[in-house]
Amino acid sequence: MKKKSSLNKTTGFDVFNTILFALICLMMLIPLYKVLIDSFDLTSAYGMRLLPKKFGLDGYISVFTNPTLYRPLLISIATTITGTLLGLTLSTVGGFVLIQWKMPGRTFFANFLLFTMIFNGGMIPTYLLMRSLHLTNSLGSVILYPALNIYNLVLMRNFFEGIPISLYESAELDGCTPMQTFFKIVLPLSKAALASIGLLFAVAYWNDYTNYKLYITDSNFYNFQMKLRSIMMGSDLPGAVGSATENTIKSAAIIIAILPFMILYPFLQKYFVKGMNLGSVKE
Amino acid sequence: MNKNNSGQRLAQLNKTSFKAQLYKYRYFYLMFLPVIIFALIFFYIPMVGVLYSFTSYKGIRAPEFVGLANFRKMFQMPNFWSAFRNTLEISVVKLFLNTAIAIIISLLLNEMTNLRYKKITQTVIYLPHFLSWVVTASVFSLIMSPSNEGLINQLLIHLHIIEKGNEIYFLGNQNLWRMSYYIINIWKDSGWGTVIFLATLSGINPCLYEAAAIDGANRFKRMTAVTLPALSNTIITVLILNLAKIMNLFESAFVLQNDAVMGTANVLQTYIYYQTFNSGAIPDYGYTTAVGLFKSIVGCILVLTCNHISKKTREGRGIV
Repeated sequence: MKKKSSLNKTTGFDVFNTILFALICLMMLIPLYKVLIDSFDLTSAYGMRLLPKKFGLDGYISVFTNPTLYRPLLISIATTITGTLLGLTLSTVGGFVLIQWKMPGRTFFANFLLFTMIFNGGMIPTYLLMRSLHLTNSLGSVILYPALNIYNLVLMRNFFEGIPISLYESAELDGCTPMQTFFKIVLPLSKAALASIGLLFAVAYWNDYTNYKLYITDSNFYNFQMKLRSIMMGSDLPGAVGSATENTIKSAAIIIAILPFMILYPFLQKYFVKGMNLGSVKE
Repeated sequence: MNKNNSGQRLAQLNKTSFKAQLYKYRYFYLMFLPVIIFALIFFYIPMVGVLYSFTSYKGIRAPEFVGLANFRKMFQMPNFWSAFRNTLEISVVKLFLNTAIAIIISLLLNEMTNLRYKKITQTVIYLPHFLSWVVTASVFSLIMSPSNEGLINQLLIHLHIIEKGNEIYFLGNQNLWRMSYYIINIWKDSGWGTVIFLATLSGINPCLYEAAAIDGANRFKRMTAVTLPALSNTIITVLILNLAKIMNLFESAFVLQNDAVMGTANVLQTYIYYQTFNSGAIPDYGYTTAVGLFKSIVGCILVLTCNHISKKTREGRGIV
């Protein structure tokens, strides 16, 4: 990198580039910033401004004093945790079996999984299946269905491929059963991949809306995304406390939905990028 | 005779060793069992379920075989054709816009000399990718709303581009919906799209830049003559990988739609959804399964075509 910069003297182009990216970053952040200040603003005349005109927490109080909100939040947390653990289990086990190159039937198993990426039954047959399994209006559907993600399984396999074969062989010579190799050698070496792929699962479960929309009609099983959607559509607006306006309440609900992630994101970002590159290096 | 004998023995040996192999790997088969069960239940049973498309099935009585009637009905529906056309148009334009902008951002980001600033920029532009579509739609329905909380309309009024009272309803206007949809998609995903390009760029040998500099290439020339060609393979990969998925468009369109823009915003997946769950009548699962099967077949052809192109252009490497 140092060598490369010695090629380039600071020029007008660098100045242009710096300003351009400042603008790009602003464009990324302004929509979120606007929602943030509106969530604290109790005026009815919004428009453009940098800070709330009439600061107040009534928007947040309106949302938090609404008990119908706690259940969706808990459901989001519970499904994210169980789903991520289940998804990681299936991906690691599947990825580990798929690198047993000499195992009879390995190619068949790989094709068996890859075929599902080429052809799928579609929305309605899957819905009818869920209905006949009595998984509609149950958290079973939204936890189990996304847990087997072939793309994530292949990412995991790609990572396992990078572990030196001699490690597996010496474990076998030392008398390790496959389970022991898996738990004592493979998993401890895969912490980075587990973090990356676990995060992919966690974000998918936390953000899930489609599966809920399809399989859940009972609002007792809504997650926070479903709840936020019905707040935004105005059908489920929490009663206003104090002088909170509709826009303030909606903005506060959005901020609550993204806040946990926004706090964690700067620390987790490198794992997301690692996960992405796990796929792009080998495909 | 001797040869034959040894051949027989080899075959026998192979047979026993095959059994021995199966035995040797028994724990692996056991470990793989849950994956197989999940795939069979959630992916393979619905594949058999496409047979509903040859029946009339309203969920009350048992499915009744109707042959190709659902497909005939489908091809006569103007709404089906408009949804099909919308799916192709929206997905393709979105894919090319997002990829083109991601490439430009990557090239410029690669020229950034201040590494700290580069890192911060990356953190910021990746962020929207991780917000859910519900949150994204919520944010932009407020930002683009025609009321006085709508930031964009307020900005246009401040700049005297529109008069107060003539606010534009971006997401509720047939002519503006697609443009708004593309902008929202660029905001959400083009930043994250740079990850794969930046990974490729970091692998370029710095000697290439020095050699180009010695040959008298200026910075812009180095960008077009060294950086861009190094990216070409990745660009093709990204395009075909995503082209294979364009029929799946659902959630992003679904959360940004409203009744006023259905003619331009309805895609196949949302058409299936509304026909089944929101048509006001008793749904005919047979018909909507038929539309889904059509969608899956077109998607399948796209994947196989892209795989074929990929194998030809990328030295035998397919995408599946």
